[in-house]
Amino acid sequence: MKQNLLRKVIFGFLFLTVGILHSQTINGIVSDNSGPLPGVNVIFKGTTNGTQTDLDGKYILDNAPSGAVLVFSFVGYKTQEVIVGVQTNINVNLVEDAALLDEVVLIGYGTTTVKDATGAVTTVSSEDFNGGVISSPEQLIQGKSAGVQISQSSGAPGAGIAVRIRGTSSVRSNNNPLFVVDGIPLSDGGTAGAANLGGGGGSAKNPLSFLNPNDIESMTILKDASATAIYGSRGANGVVIITTKSGKKGSGGVFEFTSNQSLSSVAKTYDLLDREQYLGAITQFGGDASALEFGSSTNWQNVIFREVISTDNALSYANNYGAGNIRASFGYVNQLGIIENSSQERITGRVNATHKFFDDKLKVDANLSYSRVNDESPMVTNTSGSQGDLLGATYFANPTWPNDVNFTSGDGKLNPAQLLEYYQDLANTDRVLLNLSGEYSILESLKAKVNLGFDESNSERAQILSAEVDGFNNGASGNGRGSLQQVNVKNKLMDLTLNYTKAFDNSNLEILVGYSYQSFQNYGTSINAFGLNAQNFNQAVSNLENSANIIGNAINVPYQQYGYGPNGLFINQIIPEINSNVSMPLPAGVSVKSITGDLYNNTDELQSFFTRLNYKIADKYLFTFTLRADGSTRFGPNNQYGYFPSGAFAWQLQDEDFIPEGFSTLKLRLGYGITGNQDGLGYGNFISRQRFSGAGIANDGVVNLGNGGFVAFANPNLKWEETAQAGIGFDYGFFDDRLTGSIDIYHKTTTDLLLQQEAAQPAVQPFVFSNLDAKVINKGIEFAINYDVIRRPDVNWNVGFNISYNENEVQDFDGLIQTGQINGNGLTGAYAQLLAQGQPLFSYYLREFGGFDADGISIYPNGDKQEFVGKNALPDYILGISTSFSYKRFDFNAFLTGQYGQYIYNNTANAFFTAGVINSGQNVITKVLTNGESPANAPDVSTRFLEKGDFLRLQNVSVGYRLPFEGSGFFKTFRLSLTGQNLFVITPYSGLDPEVDTPKSLNNIPSSGIDYTSYPRAKTYTFGINATF
Amino acid sequence: MKNTIKWLFISVLFAGLSCTDLEIEPTDSNFDSLSGEFSGVDPAASLDGLYGAMRGQIETQENLYALAEVSSDELMVPTRGTDWGDNGVWRNLHDHNWDAVHSFIKNTWNNLNQNVYNATLIIDSRSGGSPQQVAEAKFLRAFNTYWLVDFYGQAPFRTPDEGPNVNPSVKTRAEAFDFAVQDLTEAIPDLPASGPGKSLNRASKVAAQYLLAKLYLNKFIFLGTSPDAADMNKVIEYVDAISAQGFALEGGYFDLFTEAVNTETIFFTNSSVGARIWNTLHYKQNAPDNQGGGWNGFTTLSEFYDLFEGNPNSNEPGSGQEERRGFVPNDGSNLGIGYGFLVGQQYDETGTAMTDRTGNPLVFTKELPGLLGNNESTGIRIIKYHPENGSFASHEVVFRYADAHLMKAEAILRGGSSGRTPLQLVNELRTLRSASSLSTVNEQSILDERGRELYGELWRRNDQIRFGKFSEPWQYKTNTDPYRVLFPVPSTALISNPNLIQNPGY
Repeated sequence: MKQNLLRKVIFGFLFLTVGILHSQTINGIVSDNSGPLPGVNVIFKGTTNGTQTDLDGKYILDNAPSGAVLVFSFVGYKTQEVIVGVQTNINVNLVEDAALLDEVVLIGYGTTTVKDATGAVTTVSSEDFNGGVISSPEQLIQGKSAGVQISQSSGAPGAGIAVRIRGTSSVRSNNNPLFVVDGIPLSDGGTAGAANLGGGGGSAKNPLSFLNPNDIESMTILKDASATAIYGSRGANGVVIITTKSGKKGSGGVFEFTSNQSLSSVAKTYDLLDREQYLGAITQFGGDASALEFGSSTNWQNVIFREVISTDNALSYANNYGAGNIRASFGYVNQLGIIENSSQERITGRVNATHKFFDDKLKVDANLSYSRVNDESPMVTNTSGSQGDLLGATYFANPTWPNDVNFTSGDGKLNPAQLLEYYQDLANTDRVLLNLSGEYSILESLKAKVNLGFDESNSERAQILSAEVDGFNNGASGNGRGSLQQVNVKNKLMDLTLNYTKAFDNSNLEILVGYSYQSFQNYGTSINAFGLNAQNFNQAVSNLENSANIIGNAINVPYQQYGYGPNGLFINQIIPEINSNVSMPLPAGVSVKSITGDLYNNTDELQSFFTRLNYKIADKYLFTFTLRADGSTRFGPNNQYGYFPSGAFAWQLQDEDFIPEGFSTLKLRLGYGITGNQDGLGYGNFISRQRFSGAGIANDGVVNLGNGGFVAFANPNLKWEETAQAGIGFDYGFFDDRLTGSIDIYHKTTTDLLLQQEAAQPAVQPFVFSNLDAKVINKGIEFAINYDVIRRPDVNWNVGFNISYNENEVQDFDGLIQTGQINGNGLTGAYAQLLAQGQPLFSYYLREFGGFDADGISIYPNGDKQEFVGKNALPDYILGISTSFSYKRFDFNAFLTGQYGQYIYNNTANAFFTAGVINSGQNVITKVLTNGESPANAPDVSTRFLEKGDFLRLQNVSVGYRLPFEGSGFFKTFRLSLTGQNLFVITPYSGLDPEVDTPKSLNNIPSSGIDYTSYPRAKTYTFGINATF
Repeated sequence: MKNTIKWLFISVLFAGLSCTDLEIEPTDSNFDSLSGEFSGVDPAASLDGLYGAMRGQIETQENLYALAEVSSDELMVPTRGTDWGDNGVWRNLHDHNWDAVHSFIKNTWNNLNQNVYNATLIIDSRSGGSPQQVAEAKFLRAFNTYWLVDFYGQAPFRTPDEGPNVNPSVKTRAEAFDFAVQDLTEAIPDLPASGPGKSLNRASKVAAQYLLAKLYLNKFIFLGTSPDAADMNKVIEYVDAISAQGFALEGGYFDLFTEAVNTETIFFTNSSVGARIWNTLHYKQNAPDNQGGGWNGFTTLSEFYDLFEGNPNSNEPGSGQEERRGFVPNDGSNLGIGYGFLVGQQYDETGTAMTDRTGNPLVFTKELPGLLGNNESTGIRIIKYHPENGSFASHEVVFRYADAHLMKAEAILRGGSSGRTPLQLVNELRTLRSASSLSTVNEQSILDERGRELYGELWRRNDQIRFGKFSEPWQYKTNTDPYRVLFPVPSTALISNPNLIQNPGY
């Protein structure tokens, strides 16, 4: 027994399929009612030995011992067993399994079927995913489900993505849903944002980029509280369950190779003045054109933008050997950005294995993935000041300047060629995600499951601004500045669940109870240096790293922070006791002039108990109750545990006599639940806690260590944000479900809003972290319809459409908090949005602009003051339109996505495209020359720069052709495809792209809908091949 | 075997149920006692933090500096097309149209009060600070309280044991004044007795005495009474005590604003002086250690410039100007950047006449069209710290003996007793600064002299209020609301603490 077990384990995990000596041969044909079935698994029971039927349904098995049992299995059919007697020819007719035909739906710690689901759940499987260049999994399902808004914040490779399920409910916390990959709930973070070396700070990359889209089998979106309450304090924003591909479909061993080559170019650029127009404009506004004439003619946008070919290759091997299956994959992606020096390279490897032991009583799953993501970013930032970032400097740049890195304007203007040449930003992130689970059937009706997960990510981002760069007023010019950020995340998970099912005469009961423990460790170092003493980037990075290592090694006591500079080496100690500015002996070999380092390391834990009860009566009445108790180290001692209940009822109305025959499906769903959001809480915000603030290096290299002080005030009542959601929905189907769809209405109330409020001074810090007695309401309606217009063997045509409407409002809030920071020359302290009661989140608060007076000065008919203008950044409607058509070996897909009702604040135009800008010798777009503005006008924040952000985008269109290789020779299948992404966008917005969200938070309140030197989006054509063999 | 597996599962299940106690560990921060009771702070680290906070407060051109200077007749920040609009914060300060949501008013309130609280934590006996550490914290608490009294006329107070759910009590202007005086009086015995030197970036007896002199000189304004001879005698007494430690007027006006030790500096911070230099200079004016050029913002008014002796229309060398008005070099000396008041054509480091960014001559005009509608060369620029001494040198003077000297003159004028006369004291300073002697002094001439000596050093608003001139109209300011001698309590503070009452008029 033990040997047998060992052998099976080895077989299972080392993916050896076994060939065994043979003496007797059995053959036959497997078919179903419509003819021979290819690909059916035929194995000897209790072993892994077997084969698959060929295209004609035929199989041959050697070495069949007499008395053996043959098992015939195929997805969607009932498994049959046949005892081998003396006969050598065994033909089998497989019967479709009605229960299995129903698509399986993941619901968190378990599965159900579409038919039995009680919550608002949408599954998008891999065949429906968006194609082309995909840098992270959210993009695969953009527009595929009503009520789910997925927007990329910019066009940069690996840019952050916002997913909003049924509106935005949290004022300051993360509003993204919980992502669960193969049973492991992921935590946020893991990538470092760009440090501000002088051109503004930048966003962190999307941490989900580590998943290879080719490895994803399906993504399931849990939208309502009755479905997400099982995830308790992390369920309020919805849940997205990602399932990676297994080897199930790889009977007999199948290799799959996918390769895509994509050509990308910038979809839209600004209409900047060319050389002659520019010189004319200088004269027009009263300047001396000859003083600004540098003799060249440079199109600066052409200097920084480029046309690139990205590549995406993936190879996988899958094998289903009956008692288990295995899939191993390798992926390599090199996505090049349309701005110079931007790219994302991803190397991913994954092994998913499943094996069953003891007559299938024990099922062991192991998923291991490793990824390496290398990011290269240009200086495109969110908060650049009066000089701009790379894009800002490009818009500003005088077109008569030469495209020459040695050129300097001499008056503090940045030369874009220098920003390309003298700035480097490289990041690499290694991530391992491992989960092991074992499910054991203790009894026929009782299953126990253990799920262990481990998720570790190590990321390092190194930015260098070389000394050669001209024009920076922070000491970077002439000295060089650098930053090295190490961000590490280590999460561990243990889930234990028991699942009991019991069938009664007319009803079925299923009970799940579980325990879950998850720990989240975040640790890392932030290093900044000045005076890099280097000839090139490599030397600068190595000087930075070496100096940090030398100093780190020389300090042999615990510390939070060090600073090395002209005055010596000093440290700040925080544990076990606080000591500031402790002088340390100077280590030898530090090659930079000044350097500071700051460490952090903290761990949070989450411990949960949960249960779910499903009860089905007469296959018509479905009840679900769930309860989760979440204990979190982020909650204050008075609220250590949160309880999150939900209930749902579904009714299969089509089975009732009073429903007209015309309905092939009509299901009513009712649900109510309470869920939480603990993401905004962070570590240790309920306890009085001290740390040193960040260290700084002044423009002359003098190091100022951080100040010690409280970073949190005691608040034993601190807790999660709570969302109560009620929903009602109908699933409908006509014409034998050729026409299907759903309608949902929901109402969400979020209370106990987490907010950093202004502290009642005197206090240790300007803000106090607490739960507010205010509400955010989201209510909306979702509608989806899908019609198989043509369903014939050779021709299929399907059309799908979904649309949703959401309304948002803040209630009972007695403060006013500014957000939506506006940057640019003369815009210090400017903001565009205000959080206030009775208004939606992200409501614009602006001067009402009434044109220019005769002198070209702005008129504000309501006065030179900001006010609510009745517009906000949240879309009212989001929609998706898709169609797929196939004819014989050809297939065609098109997909459009749209958003309506949202407004964009065009901070780019506010900062770069005004008359004052041309009057300071910097370039503008042509419109500025004729709009009547005086160069002396102050372009204050007003509705002048507020624009409608409606859009309809042809997101994806693809044509594919399957070559007729099946069964002949090497290849099993071979498909060629051509995909276009972002071929057009219909929008009134004057900026580069209406799907934009530059993070411009203020007062710790995030913003939305602001466009500031956003990385433009690409138009992409992809040629792809996909082959199995 | 199957049973083994079965029991293994069940035991793992139960093992899992032996739960964690959900406690966070202090791995990168220092926890106060878990009971939530105050258990003291590290006095040395917290003091460093307080000095650091003060450094940050002084070096920015926003907040404290802006409230004290841009609201006066000495400085303005005109909006220049796309530059310096900044949502109106600078215009509102100069033309006295600020309101309770003005960001500088809010930030300053928060910074000052936060510093007061952090000082209170150090002073608390549970922090176990040495007598000198406690005395330094008391000096810093008084420094911050002084500004609260001056700007807002009231000061909330929280003890270390009052948690976030307690609404802080509020001290009236008189109570807060007494509180600052008491802190300073208690601190003096334990503060070091420093003479002129490099260690004056920390509190000393003379810094405390200077602040006491400042408090008593302004007491009649803070209390809404008239000048009292006893208070004025205190001013004289404290200034004399400072002088007894070796502090005195020193010649070489612009050398006082460098890192070199002199007998005038009573208290300085390691704040970067970059903002003082570059916020006024034009984009094209530059120094080798600042490649970014100036920020082309802060400007003074022609009425203020005209208080100085010299040719009103030129400040190039040889225009008959007094030392403190500085000069505009036309021969490429001093990096091509002037000292004091920059007016007229500017020259670069080679002595060549400069042009602005669109090629027109860079001529700083005396007059401006107003707060709005300016081009990049309007307004007289004002510069005391010079890039020759480091574009971002970390040394800014906060208390200076010349101020103490003029405070003494004023105290005598307001009824204090001394062997010297105000005229002697004022002329002593003027002679040292190569300005002609006055024949008489009155309140106006003291105010003017303070302006000429102390421009850009944080005191103009305070002086104008004390001399009753703050509510008068001046260039580009028509508002004469008398209540604007106090700033409003920020609206966010009113929401967070119902004990606060908004100042009259707002």
